[in-house]
Amino acid sequence: MSQTITIDPVTRLEGHGKITIHLNDQGEVESANFHVTQVRGFEKFSEGRPFYEMPSLMARICGICPVSHLIASAKACEAIMSVRIPHTAAQLRRMLNLAQMVQSHALSFFYLSSPDLLLGLDSDPQSRHIFGVVGAKPELGRAGIALRRFGQHIIELLGNKRIHPGWVVPGGVTEPLAASKRDEILGMIPEAYANIELALKWYKQIAETFAPEIEVFANFASLYLGLINEDESIEFTDGALRLIDARGKTVADGITANQFPELIGEAVEPYSYTKFAYYKPLGYPEGSYRVGPLARLNIAKSMGTPMADGELSLFKQISDNRPVQSSFYYHYARLIDILYGIEKIEMILSDPLILDKHVRATAGVNRLEGAGQAEAPRGTLHHHYKVDENGLITWANLVIATGQNNNAMNKGVLQAAKHYVKDGKFTEGILNRVEAVVRTFDPCLSCSTHAFGQMPLAISLVSAEGEVVDRVIR
Amino acid sequence: MKSQTARCLILACGNKLRSDDGVGLWLAHWAEERFAAESGVRVLSSQQWTPELAQDISQAESVVFIDCAVDATAGSVRVMAVEPGGETAGLATHHLDASQLLSLSKELYGAIPRTSLLLTVGAGSVELREGFSEVVHLALPEARAELERAVARVLPDFTG
Repeated sequence: MSQTITIDPVTRLEGHGKITIHLNDQGEVESANFHVTQVRGFEKFSEGRPFYEMPSLMARICGICPVSHLIASAKACEAIMSVRIPHTAAQLRRMLNLAQMVQSHALSFFYLSSPDLLLGLDSDPQSRHIFGVVGAKPELGRAGIALRRFGQHIIELLGNKRIHPGWVVPGGVTEPLAASKRDEILGMIPEAYANIELALKWYKQIAETFAPEIEVFANFASLYLGLINEDESIEFTDGALRLIDARGKTVADGITANQFPELIGEAVEPYSYTKFAYYKPLGYPEGSYRVGPLARLNIAKSMGTPMADGELSLFKQISDNRPVQSSFYYHYARLIDILYGIEKIEMILSDPLILDKHVRATAGVNRLEGAGQAEAPRGTLHHHYKVDENGLITWANLVIATGQNNNAMNKGVLQAAKHYVKDGKFTEGILNRVEAVVRTFDPCLSCSTHAFGQMPLAISLVSAEGEVVDRVIR
Repeated sequence: MKSQTARCLILACGNKLRSDDGVGLWLAHWAEERFAAESGVRVLSSQQWTPELAQDISQAESVVFIDCAVDATAGSVRVMAVEPGGETAGLATHHLDASQLLSLSKELYGAIPRTSLLLTVGAGSVELREGFSEVVHLALPEARAELERAVARVLPDFTG
């Protein structure tokens, strides 16, 4: 008798999703899917709006990474305006994007995933949250909360709001950086270093104990996509995209925002509202790839900052300088991203022009189409707009990181389910491992909405006849 | 980042797009003007109470939490003492209640305010719209008065 196991919703993710695991008559896993069950429609309802409203509108997609949408959107608008933004504006945006990356990664690592890493994947699910972390290792909880505050406060200082700052606009930013704010940020840097060093040290101590999970947490060959600079160092805000294969060989390089739509397609599957991005020359699903912290570190030859470079060198040793394949290492890559972010913010603040008052270029509609790209915490983000002669949006398309990781997440869920679910039997710890595979990617399904009330997690084992033969609620 | 210390921290949460759920934010905005001359009063408001606020709370001498209450009579205004504790099973990442925040403050930073009060306004509607229901709109003067009394209770030298 074939059966279906459903995990609905998947917990400790940004947004709402569910997992179904289908068993055959022998109780073996036959297939597994990660479903994104919500639909948003931002591309559609932005039609008819003036293009210069797009950054603020698009930022509302997400409450965790609105800055990424602000930046990718503003860059698409600047392509329509045909302007190059002032150097200081570019530096300030870079700092804002890094601050967001730090706070978002802190949320993912410390709040969402460290309960599994610290307390164990089989621990009491009622304790697997930030309170559990605080109770078991208060210094880790303090470090995570402080790093999140660090990123959030920089966003607030620059953009006057922690969430959805309106400071990034087409052409640059609305106001320059005040010396007092620069000094306040610089004053926060030493504590941020101490906190990320503590986290990195702890992670390295516990990583080996997860060797079995490393083997089956989306551990397979794939392509990787991410932004880099001309000197092959990591980049989050400018630069161009590079696509590499599982051996580290460059497949496509110097991909600009304009070229992105020519090379990247989006497939649709009937079980999810999120699309599946792929590299067109290889087709779907062969051209599927991964983005985000793991991809970025697999692609970059250096971080361009001293301490993060030291960590990158250790990271690359995991796989003898070839791309690291297990998605479990997204956790480690996330911590290295944070270290880089802190160092880079400090470097940006030492730019002699950082307080310059010229932070915005102005222009009207000079082209009827524009695209922009940036690295969101979870991976590459692409915005593409078309406008009429009055600058009103006639068409928009967004390719988000979660869609670009979608195929890998589904493959990872199947890999873990096949490994752990035997003879149609499962435990809470096994299902948590399947969920934890998705958590490594830190998908952002819809964080601009928030739940009203308590969301239950119900796991049902359903027979082919539709009979519920087992049910777990937490 | 160093938290600012406050003699009285007013901490509100809510969502202005969910009708009466926004009453906490409205009261916080009012409090910013009302207590502008009180150097010891600090007002913070956000859509949700998140763990990052625990440090601010740990450094405050007193705290007045403000929220709407969906389980209270619509328009009723209540002020009650709040203690560390609260249910942590199935804890949400994005939202903590007042007692959970106090617990986190105590566990992480070893300190909680001397006095912690929770002011709630019973919600008549949390539908997706701006503006309050009539019953909550009518309760706003009482809510303001209760907030003033709460601040006077934790700041004995507050003369109004």
